[in-house]
Amino acid sequence: MATSAVSFGALVTLEELVPSSPQFTQGASLRVTGKLQEYDIETAIASIVEGNASLKIDTQHLKVNLHIGSLYQFIGELLIDPSNQAILRARVGRNVDGMDLNLYHQSLQLLRGFQAEQMNSTTS
Amino acid sequence: MDALYNTHVKLLAFDFLKLTPSPTDPSSFFRRGKRLSRAETVGIVVTRDLKPGKFVKFTIDDGSGCISCVLWLNQLNSSYFSRRNPSDVRLIAQAATDFASDLQLGVLARVRGRITDYRGALQISVSDVVVERDPNMQILHWLDCMRSLAMLLARILDSDCSASCARICGVER
Repeated sequence: MATSAVSFGALVTLEELVPSSPQFTQGASLRVTGKLQEYDIETAIASIVEGNASLKIDTQHLKVNLHIGSLYQFIGELLIDPSNQAILRARVGRNVDGMDLNLYHQSLQLLRGFQAEQMNSTTS
Repeated sequence: MDALYNTHVKLLAFDFLKLTPSPTDPSSFFRRGKRLSRAETVGIVVTRDLKPGKFVKFTIDDGSGCISCVLWLNQLNSSYFSRRNPSDVRLIAQAATDFASDLQLGVLARVRGRITDYRGALQISVSDVVVERDPNMQILHWLDCMRSLAMLLARILDSDCSASCARICGVER
């Protein structure tokens, strides 16, 4: 099977990204979506929220205009410090204002189920 | 004649990377027994390597995997195009240049082209690029891909997998 040199960002919701989840792994490549709640210009650290969950995003390598209250999607690698605090070092980011989040979440579950079925059919 | 052979088949990266090359025809690839030559993907541009006048190599991440793509920019110097009408070649070259400038890191792009095998790695040799401004287009692409594969499975397989996939996508068998 052909593979790409860069890891794809696994789709994950902020509410799923807890220390007990398999995606909460040092260096994991993830794609996250959330509303921009805070942004520190000096450190380039943003904070996005989704429901009751939040995640810090290191945006220093991005060329994206960030506006508080807008919806953003970031792809990058998860960095976890010794106190289990996580920050996503983003490689790319984009404004996704207008995205239907209900549709997104439902489609995400559908996609996961679909991929799992494909994997099961391949291995069985 | 294979109905899908000259169609830009919408594929998840997860699916694209499972294509198997034909042993007899370098332009053909197989997916669940169906012969394909062209594909369409929608995802975020996560890498971009521009060689002006030659090509731009980039990667599309659609959330299920990454697809390598190459957009050729050498039409004006290429012997492949030397026999064609020069004004047509200039139009093709200008279109390719415009596509290359649209392909910036972080944009959501719809990319179509021929499936090729470069040194054992599958990639798309790009013919068209559209930057999608509506963020819901990524979701639509996922649903389109899943639906088309479920329909394909419903036709060619009689298995628990096809039944489950058809149920997930709401496709009648």
